[in-house]
Amino acid sequence: MHKDHDAALVNSCIEGDRLAMSQLVSQYQKPVFNAAYRILGNMDDAADATQTVFLKVFEHIADYDQRFKFFSWVYRIAINESLNQVKKRRPQESLDDSQASPWQGPSEVLESARLCQKVQDALMLLNDDHRTVVVLKHISGCSYQQIAGILQLPEKTVKSRLYSARQLLKKTLLVETTNDRGTENNEQSK
Amino acid sequence: MNNQNSYSSGPDEDRARDLLNRSIDGEISSSEKEELEVLLASSAELRDLEEEFVTLKRLLDELPEVEPPGYLQDSIERQVRLPVRDSASLKKPGLFGAWLNANWLRTGFALAAGVVLTVGVYEMGSEPISVSDSVNLSGTMVKPGLVDKQGTLLDSIQLNTDQLNGLIELRSEGDLISVDVQLKSDGPSEMIVNFAGRGLEFDGVNRIQDPVEAVSVLDGAIHLSGSGEQHYRLSLRRTEEVQNGMPLELNFFADNTLIQKAELNFSNF
Repeated sequence: MHKDHDAALVNSCIEGDRLAMSQLVSQYQKPVFNAAYRILGNMDDAADATQTVFLKVFEHIADYDQRFKFFSWVYRIAINESLNQVKKRRPQESLDDSQASPWQGPSEVLESARLCQKVQDALMLLNDDHRTVVVLKHISGCSYQQIAGILQLPEKTVKSRLYSARQLLKKTLLVETTNDRGTENNEQSK
Repeated sequence: MNNQNSYSSGPDEDRARDLLNRSIDGEISSSEKEELEVLLASSAELRDLEEEFVTLKRLLDELPEVEPPGYLQDSIERQVRLPVRDSASLKKPGLFGAWLNANWLRTGFALAAGVVLTVGVYEMGSEPISVSDSVNLSGTMVKPGLVDKQGTLLDSIQLNTDQLNGLIELRSEGDLISVDVQLKSDGPSEMIVNFAGRGLEFDGVNRIQDPVEAVSVLDGAIHLSGSGEQHYRLSLRRTEEVQNGMPLELNFFADNTLIQKAELNFSNF
């Protein structure tokens, strides 16, 4: 997210430099894909969304206002595209075991994957506004100011949505996790 | 739970909520942190909420980063079209390009005069144009008459979407494989065929019906665009033994939006 570096690459793209385009795709495809995946909850849809995001980015790159950060512009397109795809979303997929940390043992992998899926499921229960701020904060690592810029909302609204989203996640996720632990404990004591 | 000073019903609710939120997100000043400490010390409910929010933050932050599919970057790069830098940087695409440019120029004059003319055809089977020779090649080509389908049918795709309908057939004859395309769209549409790494080279496009089509070959992908009813044949020639079995990848766009991906398998070719 280096503004000057991005600006130089953007200008090169406007001049038709495909290497600069390749560098921008390489730099941003992973964060865009991850944000899309956490909003959509589906790898295929996230790949489609990411592809469409970059096609739109480069189609309109000459119109990009360089007073703003490039990543904010890309994220804005990514969020809008992801939310568009939510409307035509396919059924959710489970996370693959391969996405868990490779150094963990088999039972830890399963437990980790199960927990990740629960968190993802809880995210998917949030409405689009709440899920978007949570993803930008916790997945994309954006500040309030950056989220406000991306979503073109006042910071106060961002904070308010984050708080509400956390309250909702708390109800669905923490209660469920606590219940699961209780069930596991009961099974172990039998 | 200690309810002696419940923050949720007290006057500090909004302030406590704001401070707690910002504390969790690491966006709190030292003085505000002290203020929050005081509020936390006086409210067990707030302390419970803080603990829950910290747990939530940990769960969310620990979600693993997901790797994009390996094909994604390549797929994006193949489809992105950037402005052409300037005419001097265009590669000369050899005999085919010289022929093509001459005809595009004539087509341009015809269009400028408000008259659509049929100006020629690229004869399939003449000197093929390789990927390396056709970077940034773009323009318009026109062809008269109807050409019968030739060769053995290898694979086909039926398109049936709201924006785009049609049939795509893959045929082979000798070293030549042809993609017969019949599309119908209400608005502008585009088909992108990726043939890079398949041991094939671009051999030309034979337009069979309807107005001017834009054609470009870019980094191993052929872009063909038009609108309404379109019927054309794309030809590719084998340059080496095809062993990897990679199918041709096709992407269909309507109004600049990707609406369908498809593959044509020619592993038996």
